[in-house]
Amino acid sequence: MKHHVKLRKSVRKQLQKGNVEGTLIQSQPIWVRIFHWGFAFSLTLVILSGLQLHKPASFLALNFSKVLTIHLISCWFALGFLGIRIADALIRKDDSLIPKLQDLKHFPQLMAYYFFLRSSPPPGRKYNSGQLIIYTSWFVLFLVATLLGLASYWEGEHLIWVWRLVGGFQVIRWVKFIVSIYFLATIPVHIYLSITEDISRLQAMVTGYERKPTPNNR
Amino acid sequence: MLSRRDFLKLAVKGAVLGNFYQLITPPLAEAVAAGEVKKLPVVMIETGTCTGDSISLDNIWTPTFSDILTNIVDWRYDWTMNQVQGDAAYRILQDTYEKLPSEYILIVQGSMIQRDDGHYNHVAYEDGRLITGIDLVRRIGLKAKYVVAIGSCATYGGPVAGYPNPTQATGVQNILPERRVINVSGCPAHPDWIMGTLLHLALYGEPELEKFGRPKLFYGETIHNRCPRRADYDQGIFATDIGQKECLFRVGCKGPVTYADCPIRRWNDRFNWPIGCNTPCIGCTEPGYPDLMSPFTVHLPDIPFPGGTKVNTDSIGLGVLGLTSVAITGHVVTSLAKGRLQKNLLRSSVKVQHRPAIKKVNTYHQYRLKKTKN
Repeated sequence: MKHHVKLRKSVRKQLQKGNVEGTLIQSQPIWVRIFHWGFAFSLTLVILSGLQLHKPASFLALNFSKVLTIHLISCWFALGFLGIRIADALIRKDDSLIPKLQDLKHFPQLMAYYFFLRSSPPPGRKYNSGQLIIYTSWFVLFLVATLLGLASYWEGEHLIWVWRLVGGFQVIRWVKFIVSIYFLATIPVHIYLSITEDISRLQAMVTGYERKPTPNNR
Repeated sequence: MLSRRDFLKLAVKGAVLGNFYQLITPPLAEAVAAGEVKKLPVVMIETGTCTGDSISLDNIWTPTFSDILTNIVDWRYDWTMNQVQGDAAYRILQDTYEKLPSEYILIVQGSMIQRDDGHYNHVAYEDGRLITGIDLVRRIGLKAKYVVAIGSCATYGGPVAGYPNPTQATGVQNILPERRVINVSGCPAHPDWIMGTLLHLALYGEPELEKFGRPKLFYGETIHNRCPRRADYDQGIFATDIGQKECLFRVGCKGPVTYADCPIRRWNDRFNWPIGCNTPCIGCTEPGYPDLMSPFTVHLPDIPFPGGTKVNTDSIGLGVLGLTSVAITGHVVTSLAKGRLQKNLLRSSVKVQHRPAIKKVNTYHQYRLKKTKN
């Protein structure tokens, strides 16, 4: 039988009192979180459906016209979520994802940390140099893949310069495959590091808030 | 538009004589008969080629090749068809070049051999010196009314330009940048594509071209879009081996990336075509053929590495993913062994000044904070 325990007001107050170290700061605004999870979901669908379209798995008897539809819809959604993130960055004047030279100077030290040659990561801005390099490469490659995707979507009716620049459908297909492999190789690294390095950052991507040490503890 | 009577007449005549060219090209046949249109002067130069496109064109039906020579074009110079040889033949080409500038059509068959100024491909002997293919094509092409490249080699380099391309072969457009070259690709080009392009040039001028300079009326749609086995693809019914009657996508069919009207035109007098024979399309009309299309039984091409080794793209993809998995697993193990994983999790999880705990203080459900050592 379930008991409802009544706590005295004074006890409840003491429990609710901020006895947790550090302060809560907003790390990821709502539009960043919407972008992150929306993009993650749609990109996963894009990659999985793309791989299925590329090489049909023998153990899956899927309706290919539906797989293609899912692929195309997911592509548009991913592009839309990216658009949201860009608009949000422009409105908030957020340059946290733009790599700067100072960030990149810390990259060797960061690598030394990941390869256990240093005990702590080098100081950085909101995102470290490795994250900035990976996120920038994702941004660029996603735009490249989008351009190639649109070129193949319109089958040579539009974006003819892209076809001429690239050299044909087969090259478009090849580049898109390589881009998917790059995403597939780097996304697990991103997930792994976000879980094992600083779990409060992952929490921030859900709640928006991250717990930072109080200033006098720095 | 043909009337019913005309159609029946032509059908009967065609059935008896096997001659349908009037059905296909009535305006041209009438115009030629009335003397309104002059026969098209055509010269063909063969460079780095196997002459496969000539053989393909010879098999045209209908109009038959004899119909074409008799009624439609003035076929002036062609190594395979010439009745004369040597200087006499070459003089015809020179005469056409000098006396009919901007009137003749130049057809080029074969790739442009560029290495060592093209001296691996001599196509004529003039005033005691050998003339290279690129020189002759440039000279004749600059004065031609239209330049038509036929076959994969002349259009985009084709098999002659395949890796490692020792002769630095390329397509006609690259050595004639001043002119718009009409590309009729294919290995070989379908006779209808060649003759259809010539007829269009004669009747209506230059056809609408698509992104790679090919006439849209033949290369406007992918094979995949018109394939009779498209329904199999849409439902995910795939052949697992060559020779089976389902969609051949899984065994490397290049139909989705190849622009041509083979599914509706078919080959050998519309008798059959590769997919009809249960073999995948090899993408012979596309730029980059055959390197980008081979191996023919897989989707993506092999990637050449220094030293001549070629590795399949799928294998490279799997290798990269395998390497990532090994790297992450190795990092997890090392992090656990060195205690970094535990340290990071403790550091980044919630810290409290003292751990709150409560205990039951009496049976009336009253509680107070339990004092703990901090």
